Amino acid sequence: MALTILLIDTEGDRARALEEKLSESGFANVVRAEGPDLAAAVEQARPDLVIIDMDLPDRDALEDIRAISAARPIVMFAGTDDPSFAREAIAAGVCSYNLSGVALADVKPIMASAIALFQRYRHVEIELAAARALLDERRQIERAKAILMRDRKMTEPEAYRWLQKKAMNESRKLSQIVAEFVASHEIAGWEAKS
Amino acid sequence: MSEVVSLSSRRSDTRLRIGILRLTDSAPAIAAHEFGFFAEEGVDVELITEPSWANIADKLAYGFLDAAVIVPPLAFAVELGVRGICQPMIIPCCVSLGGNTVTLEKGLAARIRVPERDHRSTLSALAAIVRERDAPLPLGIVHAYSTHNLLLRYWLASGGIDPMLDVKLTVVPPARAVEALASGHIAGFCAGAPWGEVAARAGVGTTVATSDDIWRNAPEKAFAVRARWADDNTEALRGAVRALLRAAQFCDAPENASYTAALLSRHKYLDADSHAILSSLPGGAVTPNNLSRFWRNAAAFPWRSHAQWFLRQMARWELIDAAHDLQALAARVYRPDIYRSIAASQGLAVPLSDSKAEGAHDWPWQLDAAPQPIAMGPDRFCDGVIFEDAPTPVAF
Repeated sequence: MALTILLIDTEGDRARALEEKLSESGFANVVRAEGPDLAAAVEQARPDLVIIDMDLPDRDALEDIRAISAARPIVMFAGTDDPSFAREAIAAGVCSYNLSGVALADVKPIMASAIALFQRYRHVEIELAAARALLDERRQIERAKAILMRDRKMTEPEAYRWLQKKAMNESRKLSQIVAEFVASHEIAGWEAKS
Repeated sequence: MSEVVSLSSRRSDTRLRIGILRLTDSAPAIAAHEFGFFAEEGVDVELITEPSWANIADKLAYGFLDAAVIVPPLAFAVELGVRGICQPMIIPCCVSLGGNTVTLEKGLAARIRVPERDHRSTLSALAAIVRERDAPLPLGIVHAYSTHNLLLRYWLASGGIDPMLDVKLTVVPPARAVEALASGHIAGFCAGAPWGEVAARAGVGTTVATSDDIWRNAPEKAFAVRARWADDNTEALRGAVRALLRAAQFCDAPENASYTAALLSRHKYLDADSHAILSSLPGGAVTPNNLSRFWRNAAAFPWRSHAQWFLRQMARWELIDAAHDLQALAARVYRPDIYRSIAASQGLAVPLSDSKAEGAHDWPWQLDAAPQPIAMGPDRFCDGVIFEDAPTPVAF
């Protein structure tokens, strides 16, 4: 069995990884599409299955696929006989359209690969966001210290202790104290200038 | 499948996850959330901006959303399982009337421009252009199961343009409509505010008709809730509806227009020019027939006659099987009884009937309501037809 799969994903690395995995397995021909006219891409590729990133607004364009595929059925996700499977796909942020009514058993391994890949990328995104937040927090602390050193003639360790103490006294997170401190001082500075 | 962690949709708390799209008529839900109206009612709301109608429908169907600000035909599609599995839905209140525009590519619009904007001349000029073309005119709609698809088809058909043959209706998500128009992918679109105005400001499109030119005070968005969630959380549902009704009154007040526009324009909501949004709000609209109404004209009341009109139009264009019992379906989903009990407890005026004759009024009129009548706007259809909700057949 070789199914034709149309893969629509603007996340390039993820799309390549999925394409590789599916092609290796030998049960699928993968066609990748990008750009606005996805309905035309479907018409051209005549896929059995469309796998698409749920967060693409372009997905709406595939909703009207009936008009193109004429009598061909559309089954959302991997069939309606296994809702838990579809639920996992949605949670991972992937969606599929089964255009030629391929049996669920044949679609399942394909969708399982897609779900696993989408989940892995989602984890990476979350970790990346956390790393960015941490970096941002460090940067804010540096700025707060610089303001204290300039305005109150503190040394660097003094400035840091001052911020820590303020956080402890108000029993709030250091990051919150620092963000507020920097924001209020930057606004004050801007007012002084104008 | 060991890698797959099942994110169960079963939750023990009463958090209400509401899906919205980047549209002006998400305003009451956004205002109720941002001003703490939901919180004051003790309802823990998570507002989720989804990129597409398909996401709203699928997440409702599979329980990832509990409710949505939705185009009513799509709520019926979810209820019937037209797109996959069935998920029973109820509509305890509506959200808006009007607000859609038919916006054409600038050059095309210039050819049909009539001195006094009058939809009949606009439509006949459009019909002439459509007839001289070799290929059907490509027009964008936001979803097959949208009010836009039904209103546009109704309007075109009333002017002798066959929506199946003379034009090619293509699905384009609202936030992508301007881009699709600019690239020439479509020659025009019917979409909700603010996207018609955004197209005009970008210099790519001109609005030639609005919801009001097709059906004055046409029903637009509804607040649809999964029936199971509503059954399990009756108090939270009532609280959420109270908060939405309060927000509807806020968003409908002209003096709040610029405030609401600024709120909506934020990155996490519409992420669009606040001036374009302002032009579709009561109090901010330059042309009064191009605005969303949230409270006036009984905008929040879930009329069974509106439900019937949607269902009959869906059957007309074969979007649903006409063999369904449409009366029963409308009664199952549209719940004026819930609205009435909540609104009455707040001292708000409530209509005395569940249906009205749609299209019977050219001028402002008074609706029978308790404790006092409600001032209503005109409700004329472009073809002058009066739509009567067929009475429930007597069972003997």
